[in-house]
Amino acid sequence: MYSDPANKTSSRFDGLLADNTVLSALMVISPVIMCSDTLRNAEALIYAFSAITFISVILCSFVPRKLPYAVKVIIYAAIAALVYIPVKSLAQVTYPGIVSRVGIYFPLLAVNSLIVFRGESLFYGVKKARMITSLTFYILGFDAVMLVTAVIRELFTYGTFNSHMVDVSPTVSGLGMPFGGFILLGLMCGVYRKVRSALRPASDAEERKEGSDVSGN
Amino acid sequence: MHFIDIKNNNNERHSWIDMMLTLLTLEVMSFFYNGLHSAALAAVCLISSLAAEAVCLRLMKRSFTADDLPVSTDALITALMLPAVFDYAPACIACIFAVVAAKSVFGGRNNMIFSPAAAAYCFLYTSWKGQILLFQQPHDTAGVFETPETLVNSASHVFNTSGKFAYSGFELLMGNFPGPAGAVSILLLLIASVILIARKDISAGAFTGTVIGVAVMSAISPCSDSFVSSFILTLCNNMMLFAALFIISDRRIAPKRAYYAFFYGFFITVFAYVITVTTAKENAVVIVSVLFTPVSLGLKNLEKKIELAVREDLSPGASGMEVKADVQ
Amino acid sequence: MFLVTDLLVLLGANLILVQALGISTIFVAAGNRKNLICTAMAITVFTTIGSAGACAVDSILPKSAADLRLLLYVIVIGAVYICILTGTYMLNRKFFESVRRYIHISAFNCAVMGTLLSISGRAYDTVGGIGFKGYILGGLEAGFGFIITALMLLAAYRKLNSSKVPASFRGFPAMLVYLGIISMAVFALR
Repeated sequence: MYSDPANKTSSRFDGLLADNTVLSALMVISPVIMCSDTLRNAEALIYAFSAITFISVILCSFVPRKLPYAVKVIIYAAIAALVYIPVKSLAQVTYPGIVSRVGIYFPLLAVNSLIVFRGESLFYGVKKARMITSLTFYILGFDAVMLVTAVIRELFTYGTFNSHMVDVSPTVSGLGMPFGGFILLGLMCGVYRKVRSALRPASDAEERKEGSDVSGN
Repeated sequence: MHFIDIKNNNNERHSWIDMMLTLLTLEVMSFFYNGLHSAALAAVCLISSLAAEAVCLRLMKRSFTADDLPVSTDALITALMLPAVFDYAPACIACIFAVVAAKSVFGGRNNMIFSPAAAAYCFLYTSWKGQILLFQQPHDTAGVFETPETLVNSASHVFNTSGKFAYSGFELLMGNFPGPAGAVSILLLLIASVILIARKDISAGAFTGTVIGVAVMSAISPCSDSFVSSFILTLCNNMMLFAALFIISDRRIAPKRAYYAFFYGFFITVFAYVITVTTAKENAVVIVSVLFTPVSLGLKNLEKKIELAVREDLSPGASGMEVKADVQ
Repeated sequence: MFLVTDLLVLLGANLILVQALGISTIFVAAGNRKNLICTAMAITVFTTIGSAGACAVDSILPKSAADLRLLLYVIVIGAVYICILTGTYMLNRKFFESVRRYIHISAFNCAVMGTLLSISGRAYDTVGGIGFKGYILGGLEAGFGFIITALMLLAAYRKLNSSKVPASFRGFPAMLVYLGIISMAVFALR
């Protein structure tokens, strides 16, 4: 399902389109569902996710590969938790009130699976330059989904765009609730897969097969 | 013992015709009480559902056939669960949501998971809660673009909060009290239930389970003076009878075997009854039916396993005995 | 009666349906009965023991050092992780090989971390705190909530992965919409 950096056919740009962090690799879903109801929240989370993930992955790339897997995972999570502290402090200055508004999803960004689990397979086996490029695009993949979801949800839930009133009627308050995030993200996932399969039919045929096609209900 | 078979048919198109006739009858009654607005609302729901279904089928590279017409019954069921003066735009959005998110995403009519009408109602309940629980008085008719000056709480709301139902038995039967457009015409619903069960258009097991559930809960924890009044008022309020007929007993959703369908209907009713008694929540049965979808799916999985096990037991050398599935 | 209201409360505080935590994990859990049992048990163990550790951390940690809470929770979960791995390895090698995958995916999971942070937040908001018992019960509640949602998904797994589902929506997208509609019903009842 995800791109293998050792595989020469995979591209460093996969994280944005071909193997989008959220829509394809299914990572960091909770903040998208729960917190992308306004553009303001999304901006703060994008900043936090980008800063924490970028710095943490680069620091984690220096962790010796020979350590046992469980120990490495704990070290990755600890590094991310440490990086979270200054990022949070800066967020409180730049986006006042955001930490209390977003609640537990702010610190949860620090232990996202891109740092703790997937970094091992996606980033640490390749050269630093390629790692940084690939990491940037995986971060951009999350950012893009967060932005698009936030724009749609804020527009149709509250009738505003970045807190400015826009003449949208009727508004659907349910879209701003968690179930609205679930359903919208599910539909976005489906549309993304459709677009991707239209652009890359051969590789997607393989992925569809691995999507456990249990025939007969 | 056999049911009186007016016409023995399992053809889905005939079932659709039967359902449409009953729903249109309810719609006519709603038009009589509430005016042109209710008919226009039904038309909006129908058109938006049909359009959404056509688009979704097109995207799935399938053509719109007569077998896809049951989307119109879902649309009418949705319209009949709403106040007759409900806004057109939210109703349209809800119908599109029902077709796209609650049906087409899972494969359409060939792979139904949720009752589209119940999902649409839940969607409206969470997004337009203030509007969906305010109704006009019967005979306070409204034109296509009119809204009555005063909207009131439903009789169910008054019953849930105070235990009192200030209408006579005749008014109850005729639907002469404020409530969802199609759910108040109790006499018509009773007649419809007899016809639809006799013609095997709905799950008799699920319907029976619902009614027995109401009876059991009315006996255990009556919400009125006596068991009889509690049973009647519970069945006739909070869309219980309407949901029993068109949502819980939907053959596409309910388990096929009458035994499992009975318990499916029974437990939905018990759950909904407790919620209504403890929280005075209106029309809880529709919401609970969505919540109990995994139960129905689990029972269907169990039915499948039993069928497979029975088929495996039949060896090739057995006599030509067929296994009759207890399908109602 | 009370069973129904308790179930309603459990659903109302469900970590997946209401807080959207642990979604990728539940997708794995719903694959088959073995995945469900193993993942659900692993998550429940982590949330329960982790809650106990979180209680200890919260009682020691001064308010001025509140930013260190996440790091200390990571250390607590890391310790539980190592202990469980070591314990199962020493108990039975074969058993270890069969369950280690579930331990790995459950440890630093949104569901576990989110539960600890939620319980901590709840304790902070409650006058007088919720006590050690409250932490443990919160962890168990989260575990049971995960099990209930995993069962809901297990029931629909075949249908959500059926060939009748459009290829673009087959699997995870359909699962998200399915959970969304169930979540919608939970919110309607709240």
